[in-house]
Amino acid sequence: MDFNYTPAEEQFRMELRAFLAEALPEGWGETVFLPEDEDEQAVFRLDWERKLYEGGWSCIGWPKEYGGRDATLSERAIYAEELARARAPELINIIGQNLAGHTIIHHGTPEQKARFLPGIISSREVWCQGFSEPNAGSDLASIKTRAELKGDKFIVNGQKIWTSFAQHSQWCLALVRTSNEGPRHKGISLLLIDMRSPGITLRPLRQISGENEFNETFFDDVEVPIENLLGPINEGWRITMTTLSYERGPEDALGRQVRIKQELDTLIAKTTELRNDGKRLIDDPLVRQKLGRSIAEVEIIRLNCLRALSRYLAGEDRGSDASILKLFWSEVGVRMSETAMDVLGPLATLNGDDPLAVGSGRWLTSWLQSKAFTIYAGSSEIQRNIIGERVLGLPR
Amino acid sequence: MNFNFDEDQRSLGETVAAVLADDAQLLAPDPVEAGTSKAWEALAELGLFSLLVPEDLGGAGFSLIDVSLAIEALGAGLAPPGIASTLVVTELLSRYGSDQLKARWLPGIATGELHAALAIQEVGSGPDPLSMRTAFVANGLSGTKMLVDGGSEADLFLVLAGSADGPAVVVIDAKADGVSCRAHDGLDPSSALAEVTFDNVAVGDDDILGGAAAADAVATLQDLGATVAAGMQIGIAARVLDISVEYAKVRVQFGQPIGAFQGIKHVCADLAVAVESGRSAAYYAFWAVAEDAPDRARAASMAKAYCGEVARDGCNRATQIHGGMGFTWELALHRYMRRARILEQAFGNSDWHYDRVTEQTVLANGHATRDEAVSV
Repeated sequence: MDFNYTPAEEQFRMELRAFLAEALPEGWGETVFLPEDEDEQAVFRLDWERKLYEGGWSCIGWPKEYGGRDATLSERAIYAEELARARAPELINIIGQNLAGHTIIHHGTPEQKARFLPGIISSREVWCQGFSEPNAGSDLASIKTRAELKGDKFIVNGQKIWTSFAQHSQWCLALVRTSNEGPRHKGISLLLIDMRSPGITLRPLRQISGENEFNETFFDDVEVPIENLLGPINEGWRITMTTLSYERGPEDALGRQVRIKQELDTLIAKTTELRNDGKRLIDDPLVRQKLGRSIAEVEIIRLNCLRALSRYLAGEDRGSDASILKLFWSEVGVRMSETAMDVLGPLATLNGDDPLAVGSGRWLTSWLQSKAFTIYAGSSEIQRNIIGERVLGLPR
Repeated sequence: MNFNFDEDQRSLGETVAAVLADDAQLLAPDPVEAGTSKAWEALAELGLFSLLVPEDLGGAGFSLIDVSLAIEALGAGLAPPGIASTLVVTELLSRYGSDQLKARWLPGIATGELHAALAIQEVGSGPDPLSMRTAFVANGLSGTKMLVDGGSEADLFLVLAGSADGPAVVVIDAKADGVSCRAHDGLDPSSALAEVTFDNVAVGDDDILGGAAAADAVATLQDLGATVAAGMQIGIAARVLDISVEYAKVRVQFGQPIGAFQGIKHVCADLAVAVESGRSAAYYAFWAVAEDAPDRARAASMAKAYCGEVARDGCNRATQIHGGMGFTWELALHRYMRRARILEQAFGNSDWHYDRVTEQTVLANGHATRDEAVSV
């Protein structure tokens, strides 16, 4: 056991840190923030993704032949930490880079790799995820969006929901039903769908935070060429379940951790400034105990990730322990936001535009946003089922 | 960066678990005062007590990290807590004892012949290990300590005491004049808890750990003690989770094993996440204490606060999962609940450590720990 990094890893960290300092605007995260307007924000974030690519810091875990760095797990952990520490904008093309790219590298044809990977790594083409449907949420295998093979094309009909950033996406990685025979998860395929195809309609969905990150996506007789089938037909479920372990894995959770920790550190700083009845908030024992719990839990997210990465480095398979990481970080994130609202009290309920607002209303926004943590990428209840059945071996 | 234990470290943990499992009395429904139990002797034979002793004094010169999993196993197997206390004393003596003091005690500890105990808590001192009234004045130590595990069997005590130069850790021979011991009547007789009174017991300069750096020894005792207790707490939590999961697989109600019901399954899943998270906290604390990392105090407090809660929660949930059986004396689940509660009191409870986590973080983040606007 050793938590020190090797000189090569420290070197990697320093190179990345220097790049980030150079590439982000001066005063970033302190006086300069993301544009408030959602469209301007999208433009800014995509521009940032291209900067990362030009600097050689995009998709670092990909093999070198596809433009990545073949980064080790330790380097990926450092990468997640440093990007979050620099408060770098979160990726809009996260589905492309983490999910679609990864799946294409492992299951795509040489033609698909050549066609899609360069657009993904450079964020020239943004991807969205077409998995959930109005009647297929936690029960994802019950999807009904149909793809019928006619000649050399699939004809796709149905509806997807919660498609994040569909409005900015050129491509959709979609789970579609290609067979109604046999067990339902054996009749599902993965299609790469061009979002500019005729027959696709988007309807934005407003979130409880007021933002419009995701959409409903309707498919009416959308034609998809057969060469856009990813992996064998009717094998989409199996392929997706293996790639999803990356969506819930330690690389992802580490990035979440540092962002949650930044919120928490800013909160701690605030409690040393704000006063109730003349006394600093931090000097109230109740505040200290609540904060202490959050500090410990947030640090444990990081330690859980490092333990998982260490196991993978020692050759263990990525198993269902991704569910342990996801359940923990999401529940901790929600609790941390509740702590912030409790600690800041009445002032926490004010939006950034109110002159009395604390920290531009950031904790209010984070609190609302955090409610999604325990729902997306497999709800907490689904994670508990997975842990109960696959980790502990309890009966279904 | 590597969070894995190596083959030897894992194997030691498994061996300690196997040795403890051989002593059926440890987990029996009736808590028996452990004293010189079979397990003590078997672990001494295994060489457990020599591991932290420096090589030049007949030991193996191992690091705390090497025995982390063994300590977790001591918790899970409800080993007499005096075993872990003896390991804590060994580490402190090795780090802070004078050559003479080490030569006097460590060889006997290494063979398992001598048992050591930690005398820290007092009536009225609350959760803060440092708020004590026991003190030594003019080389005489006086005061009364409570909940000293293995107190009646101990050959030497490490006593936390005040002095004109601040708090110190003092080594006292149990046979010295003025030392008396009374067994407590309490929750967990298997912890062999005792009240120990020191009545003007002679203290030589050599008996103060760390000498001029006595404050370092005190701080290390706090962090080391909290970490070792956390390691045992997470061992308890992991064991009651295992027991509960096994029960949920075989206990049938409404025509199916109760583990198939989400009401039970999700409780087990939450506990599994808490146990893994507690392990992360405890293992990191072992490393931070072994390496004297800059965040040692915070790591130890995080582990003690979090693992304490997980152990408590685990015992409560395990009892609930077992239903009526869980409430019976005969099933012996109460043994874990009893031990967890004793460990919760040791080296500061969860609330006190969460407060300390905040204090350490405020300090590390560069904020003022005291309100400068309020002057007395």
